[in-house]
Amino acid sequence: MTASASERDQEHRAGVEQAARRRVAVLVAIAVAGAQTRAELQRLAAEQAALRRVATLVAGGSPPQEVLAAVAGEAGRLLHVDVAVLSRYEADGSATVVGRWDRPGAPPGTGREQEPGTGRERKPGTSAAVPVWAAGRRWGVMSVGSHSGPLPAGTGARLAGFTELTATAIASAEAQAALSASRARIMAAADQTRRRIERNLHDGAQQRLVSLALQLRAAQQTAREAASPEAGELAGRLEGAIREATEVLEELREIGRGLHPAILTDTGLRPALRALARRSAIPVELNIQVPGRLPEQIEVSGYYVVAESLTNTVKHARAAAVSVEVGVAGDALRITVHDDGIGGADLGRGDGLAGLKDRVEALGGRFRLDSPPGAGTAVRVEFPLAATSAAHSASTSASAGAGQVHNHEGDR
Amino acid sequence: MKVTDKPTSVVLADDDVLLREGMASLLQRSGFDVAGQAGDAPQLVTMVRELRPELVIVDIRMPPGYSTEGLEAAREIRASFPDIAILVLSAHVEVEHAMDLVASGQRSGYLLKSRIINVDDFIETLRQIVRGGAVIDPELVKELVAARRVSDPLDVLSAREREVLALMAEGRSNNGIARELFVTEGTVEKHVRSILMKLRLPEADDMHRRVLAVLTFLNAQLAGSPAEDLADAVG
Ligand SMILES: Nc1ncnc2c1ncn2[C@@H]1O[C@H](COP(=O)(O)OP(=O)(O)OP(=O)(O)O)[C@@H](O)[C@H]1O
Ligand SMILES: [Mg+2]
Repeated sequence: MTASASERDQEHRAGVEQAARRRVAVLVAIAVAGAQTRAELQRLAAEQAALRRVATLVAGGSPPQEVLAAVAGEAGRLLHVDVAVLSRYEADGSATVVGRWDRPGAPPGTGREQEPGTGRERKPGTSAAVPVWAAGRRWGVMSVGSHSGPLPAGTGARLAGFTELTATAIASAEAQAALSASRARIMAAADQTRRRIERNLHDGAQQRLVSLALQLRAAQQTAREAASPEAGELAGRLEGAIREATEVLEELREIGRGLHPAILTDTGLRPALRALARRSAIPVELNIQVPGRLPEQIEVSGYYVVAESLTNTVKHARAAAVSVEVGVAGDALRITVHDDGIGGADLGRGDGLAGLKDRVEALGGRFRLDSPPGAGTAVRVEFPLAATSAAHSASTSASAGAGQVHNHEGDR
Repeated sequence: MKVTDKPTSVVLADDDVLLREGMASLLQRSGFDVAGQAGDAPQLVTMVRELRPELVIVDIRMPPGYSTEGLEAAREIRASFPDIAILVLSAHVEVEHAMDLVASGQRSGYLLKSRIINVDDFIETLRQIVRGGAVIDPELVKELVAARRVSDPLDVLSAREREVLALMAEGRSNNGIARELFVTEGTVEKHVRSILMKLRLPEADDMHRRVLAVLTFLNAQLAGSPAEDLADAVG
């Protein structure tokens, strides 16, 4: 038993070592797990932040095309890919790109791979696509891709997760787009009606009145030629009737102009706005930089924006002057009407400004009112020129090849 | 009615038959010879080529587009027959249309359709146009002169000079202005010289150039831009 001491000693040391090794292993495992958890947590936090941003856009009533573009952008940034594309299925089975994001400064893809999800040959693992379910149907497809190398493992799953979470936002953006489109249609119909009434006034009632007055004139001349006192009195009465007809004609002209200025249809926004400025009771400084004609709905709406704003300035602002700026910047028509009056305008107090806001937003545009008390009022609007409805503008601004996206959602 | 050697021949164009007939009988009664009536712009142009009237009276808005067909027909007639006087009638008056027409040459008129009703004034206006004048509807001129401007160049004019300026824009001659204002022609000439100097407008020997210069000035001032094409307009 003399050796037993050293044996025991050895045994003991081995045990300690083993325990230590085990402890290290556990520590390492814990450390690794911790790192993973942290990364996982960071990813979750990033995802949450992305979702929050999208939700804020939706809640703020941003135009649908903006929300959809943001969804693509958030997905792209979240997954560290080079390009992210959100496409919507159309009724005819084709797909339309409604949101696209490209990593700023990303190396341009070779033509072969620049459109993820086109179904064309790509290096394996450089793209992923997942279906988007929204409003109870397969709404579209979200795809991401990288130009340089394979996507990290699990990208497809993460994309699926994120896409699922954004489905509500997509659905409500979509519902809003449909709503805008229908509002735009209603508005267009109302505008058309006003135009038709104006035309009927000019070509119908006004013409008739002129004819009638001419007949009265002829009768008057006959009466005068009769040269009797009775006929003289009749001629005088006819003069009164003619004067009345003339006054009614003037009123009709006024009404017609209020309904729809013919010059707007005939010659465009510029002369129509100049006529408005000419008739304003407060001096207007005009700066109009518009090349030729614009889409009809935008011309009409732009006209109403300026007309209502000038009316408000005269009615409420106690202003000395007002400026009207109209110009095309990029793909948008921008209009600013700015007075130097008392400010304090409030969308909630009347129908005029709220109506303008609806009108502008129905065309996918933006409306802004700046009216601090004592510092004048500025109405700023922007109309997208690419198309007249929000849904439409998302599809026309999308890149070519959009139609090829469909049939390709099984990459995950 | 003063009937000269031969009655002035007229071609009328308006898509409203009733109104056209009414106008035709009015003209006939007033000593004009209504040579033809057209219902749209192409018909008018054909008729003018055939009949070569001295005067054309045309509604600005006619089928098929109901837009500014009358104005376009006027331009076309002008290009082929610069001596034919043209009066364009419209349900509303616009400065762009007025300048367009007056710029195309002398013997031009642009009036609200309802002016027909005051027959005597209307006939006098027709004679003025046939004699070589340019006539712009007073309603339009009033609007142009009354428009409020941020820094109004018309502020340098006296009230009387403003009145004279408006009558110049309507196409009145100095003599016509003198009669309207019950002053001598010499007084009017003085006012006109003063206005041209104050507004830096060029002298124009032709009535339609004078009208065009004044309209261009009034219109350009409104756009907040300098009277850029004034020189071009006056030539
Ligand atoms: N330029 C302005 N300067 C000062 N206050 C303004 C101006 N424009 C609007 N406001 C204020 O904002 C309110 C809302 O304007 P809004 O045009 O919507 O309605 P309204 O002009 O009162 O009526 P309407 O429905 O006939 O337009 C006005 O009642 C007025 O108090
Ligand atoms: Mg208002």
